Amino acid sequence: MSSSTPLLSGSEYTTVSASNGNNSGSTYINPDNDASIEALLRPEDPDYFEEEGMFRSEVMSLIEICTPQEQVKELCYKLGNFGKLQFIPKKEKISESNPAKTLYNDEIKALGNLLRQYDFFNDLLKEYNVQIISDSNDSYMFDSFYTPKANEIEKLISSANEYESKFNEIQDSLEELNLKYNNLLEEKLAIENLSVLFKPDLTEHDSNEVTGMTITDRANTSQSKNFITGTIPRSKMAVMEKLCWRMTRGNLYLTNLPIENEKLPAGTNNELVDKNCFVLFVYGEVTLNKCMKVIESLDGNIINLPVSYVEQQSLHHKLVENLKEISQLIKTSTVMIQQDLDLISMELPSWKKTVNKEYKVYKSLQGWTINQTTATTQAWIPSSSLPDFSKDQHTVITVLDFDKKSPPTYHKTNKFTQAFQDICDCYGIAKYREINAGLPTIVTFPFMFAIMFGDLGHGILLSLVAFMLVYNEKKLGRMERDEIFDMAYSGRYILLLMGLFSCFTGFVYNDIFSKTLTLFKSGWTWENGKALSTGTTYAIGLDFNWHGTENGLLFSNSLKMKLSILMGFIHMTYSYMFSLVNYINEKSMIDILGNFIPGLVFMQSIFGYLSLCIVYKWSVDWIKDGKPAPGLLNMLINMFLSPGNIEAELYPHQAKVQIVLLILALICVPCLLLIKPIHFKLTHKEVEHSLEDAHGDENQEEEDDDDEGHGESFGDVFIHQVIHTIEFCLNCVSHTASYLRLWALSLAHAQLSDVLWTMTLNIGLQAGKDGVSALSVFMLVLLFGMWFVLTVLVLVVMEGTSAMLHSLRLHWVESMSKFFVGEGIPYEPFKFD
Amino acid sequence: MSSFYTVVQIFLIVSMVNIAAWLYAPRNQALRAKKSITVFRSTFILTTSMMFLMWAITYLSQLHPLVEPRRSDLRVEQKI
Repeated sequence: MSSSTPLLSGSEYTTVSASNGNNSGSTYINPDNDASIEALLRPEDPDYFEEEGMFRSEVMSLIEICTPQEQVKELCYKLGNFGKLQFIPKKEKISESNPAKTLYNDEIKALGNLLRQYDFFNDLLKEYNVQIISDSNDSYMFDSFYTPKANEIEKLISSANEYESKFNEIQDSLEELNLKYNNLLEEKLAIENLSVLFKPDLTEHDSNEVTGMTITDRANTSQSKNFITGTIPRSKMAVMEKLCWRMTRGNLYLTNLPIENEKLPAGTNNELVDKNCFVLFVYGEVTLNKCMKVIESLDGNIINLPVSYVEQQSLHHKLVENLKEISQLIKTSTVMIQQDLDLISMELPSWKKTVNKEYKVYKSLQGWTINQTTATTQAWIPSSSLPDFSKDQHTVITVLDFDKKSPPTYHKTNKFTQAFQDICDCYGIAKYREINAGLPTIVTFPFMFAIMFGDLGHGILLSLVAFMLVYNEKKLGRMERDEIFDMAYSGRYILLLMGLFSCFTGFVYNDIFSKTLTLFKSGWTWENGKALSTGTTYAIGLDFNWHGTENGLLFSNSLKMKLSILMGFIHMTYSYMFSLVNYINEKSMIDILGNFIPGLVFMQSIFGYLSLCIVYKWSVDWIKDGKPAPGLLNMLINMFLSPGNIEAELYPHQAKVQIVLLILALICVPCLLLIKPIHFKLTHKEVEHSLEDAHGDENQEEEDDDDEGHGESFGDVFIHQVIHTIEFCLNCVSHTASYLRLWALSLAHAQLSDVLWTMTLNIGLQAGKDGVSALSVFMLVLLFGMWFVLTVLVLVVMEGTSAMLHSLRLHWVESMSKFFVGEGIPYEPFKFD
Repeated sequence: MSSFYTVVQIFLIVSMVNIAAWLYAPRNQALRAKKSITVFRSTFILTTSMMFLMWAITYLSQLHPLVEPRRSDLRVEQKI
C-alpha cells in the first residue's frame, strides 16, 4: 500500500490505493504503475470483462473495506443488497482475541430463535389452513434499501415470544381436551353398542345356543363381577380372542361388535384406528385379572359397565352431556388460535424477510475486525464490478494484492449454462482462472449422450418433453416441484440439447424406432437376391439397405466401434489441448516441455496413428486396387510385439514409419518422467547456491528446513511426476478403451428398440395381414399402447438415464483428467435472497 | 462421384461456416448478451464440428465397402 490515488472525487471518503508489490496471482490485478490502477477501475476495452467469466473464471480483486464503527451495520445492508462481495473468513487465531465474535453472539442467538419461532408459526398456519398473504408491494419492509432499527427488531422479538407462549398454551390445552373428548367418546360408543346386548327384552332371542344362557343371565349368575367390557383395536381382536381362549382353556364367552363410523385413538401415540367393543365372560377372579392384563397389553381399553340396563342408560346420558361441554371448549379454543393466526398471516412474510436479513448481517459482522472507531474487513469482488462498487459505497476501499491467498472461482452463468456448469462443479471447483470445463461440456455432454442414444424417434420424444419444460419454464419455475421433477426442470436445457443431438445421431444411424428412413439414393441394389454396388455412397448416415440384412449387425458394429474410437480420440485430444492453454496462461514453460509435449507425442504416435490408419483405410478402394485390406487391430498389436514386421501392407514404407513412431513413444516416457524433476533440481540448486553464498555453509540445515516449509521438495516433485507418468501412459490406453462404451451402449439401444418392436407392435401389425377383424384391431390398439409405454419407460427413461451417466463419466474421468486442476474455492457472495 | 474429396469439401464448408460464426457472433447490446459471446462461439463451433465428424465417419465407412449386405429372405424374380 505504498501509493494512494484519489480516484472518485465525488465522494470525500473514497480513495483507492493499490500496492506496487509483485503479484504472482494475476497479471491484471497487478498494476505496475499508478496508471494501471485507473485502467483497472475503468477498463479501456469494455469487452474485456464482459467476455470473460465463462471461458475462465472472473478476475477477482481483493479489497479491504474500512468504515466508521457506527456505520458498519448500515454498510453491511448495502453490501448485502449489492450482493457481489465474498468476505474472507478470519483465521481462528485472530477471532479469539476479536471482540466481534463474542460481541454479536447474543444477537445471533436471539435472531436464530426468532427464525425458529417463525418456522413454528408457519407450521401452525399450515395446520390450521390459514392462507399466508405474501408480498404486498407497498410495504416498506420490502424496500431493499430499508435498514430496520434496533427497537423494531426488539419489538418483533417480544411479539414473537408473546405469540409463541400463547400458541403453546392453547395447543397444550387443546391436546388435553381432544384426548379427553376421545376417551369419553369411546366410552359412549362402547355403551351404545354393548347395551344392546344387555337389553332386557332381547334376552330370549340373543341366547347362546351352546350353553343355553343369555347375557343377562350370565351377568347375574354370580355375586362378584365376572365379565369385562371394553374396546380394542379391530386388528387385535383376533389375537385377544385366541389369547383369552388359551388362558381360560376355552372356558369363556366372548362377544364383540364393531364400532362403526368412528376412528378412535389407540396406543401410546394416539393413532386413529377402527375399534371393536367386546364383552368377555370368564369364571373366577384370577382369570379375570389375567384377561384384563392381556387386554391392556393389546392396547385395549377396559370400560366398567354397570350390570343393569337402566344404570347404563343414565351413564350414557351423562357422557353425552360431558361430550357436548368439551366440544364447546375445543371450538372456542380453536377460534381463539385461528384469530391470532389470521393476524400473523399478514405480517409473517415481511417479518421473516427482515429478520433473515438482520441475521445474515450479524453473521457477516462477525467477520469484521472492529475496534473503538473503525471496522475493517477483507473481501473478494469480481474486478468487473469494482467500478460500480466504488461508485456506490461511500467508504474507504483499498485494493490489495494477493500472493498467497487464492481467489474464489466465479463463472458467470445464465439459465442456459448453469446446469452444464453444475455438472462440472459437481466433480470439482475449477482453480482460479483455469479453463472452465463447463464451456465445452455444453456441447460434448449432450453429444456423447446422443451417440449412445442414437434414435430419431426417441430423440424427438426427448426433445418434445424438454421443449415443454423450456417453453413453460416461467410457469414451472413458480410451481412447487418434487425432487425428481426438480432435477428434470433444472436440467431442462441439457435435456433439450440431448434430445436434439439424439435426433441427429439417430438420423445418421438411420434409426427411427428401430426402422429406417429411405431419403437418399442407396449404394446398393438387389438383383437375384444379391446386393450390387451402385457406385454411390448414401449421402447422410447409414445406408438403409443394411437394415434387416444378415450381416447388417456386423457392419454397424464395425462402424460404431471405429466411430467411438475416433470420437474418443478426438475428444481426448481436444481436452488435452486445454492443458496447453492452461500452461500458457500460467506461463509455465516447463510444464509445456516436460508434461504437455511428451504426453502429446506419446498419445499421437499410438492412438493418433491408429485413428489416422482407420480413416486412411476407409479412403482407399481396396477391391479396385486388388489388394487385401489389412486388419488394423493386428497391425497395432504387431507394431508393439514385432516392430518392423508387416503382414499386410497398408501403405508403402509402413514398417519404417511404425518403428519411428514406436521409438518416439518410448522416448516420451522417460522425457515425461525426468524433464520436470531435473528442471526442478537445477533451478532449486541455483536458489541453494545463492543462499549459500549469502549465508555461508553453517546455515545449510536451516535452509533445508525452510525449503520444506515452502512446500515442495525434490522428492515430492519426483514422486508426483512418477505417478503422473504411470497414470498418463496407462490412461491413454484405458481411456481409449473406455470410449468403447459409446459403441456398446448405442448397439444395446438399437437392439433393444428392435426387440421391442418385434415383440409388441410387429405382432399387432402381422395380425391384420390376412384381413382385418375385430380381434386384430383390438390387438393392434393394445399392442401399440404397450409398445409406446415400454418405449417411453424402458428406452427413453431407463436407457436415457444410463447413457447420461456414461456420458457423465466420460466427461469427469476421460476428458477432465486431461486438463482439469480443480481445488478452487467456490464463489459464494454475501447477499440477501 | 463420391470420394474422399467430398469429405474434404464438406470440411472446408463447415470450417468456413465456423469462421463466419466466430466473426459474426451476435453482439446484442440491448440484451446484454455480450458476455455470452464466448458461449455462443464455443457451442456453435463444437456443434457443427461434432456433427461433421459424425457424418464424415459414417460416410467414409461406406465409401469403399469391403462387404456387401446379404439377406436370404428375398425371392428371386423369375423373368419369363
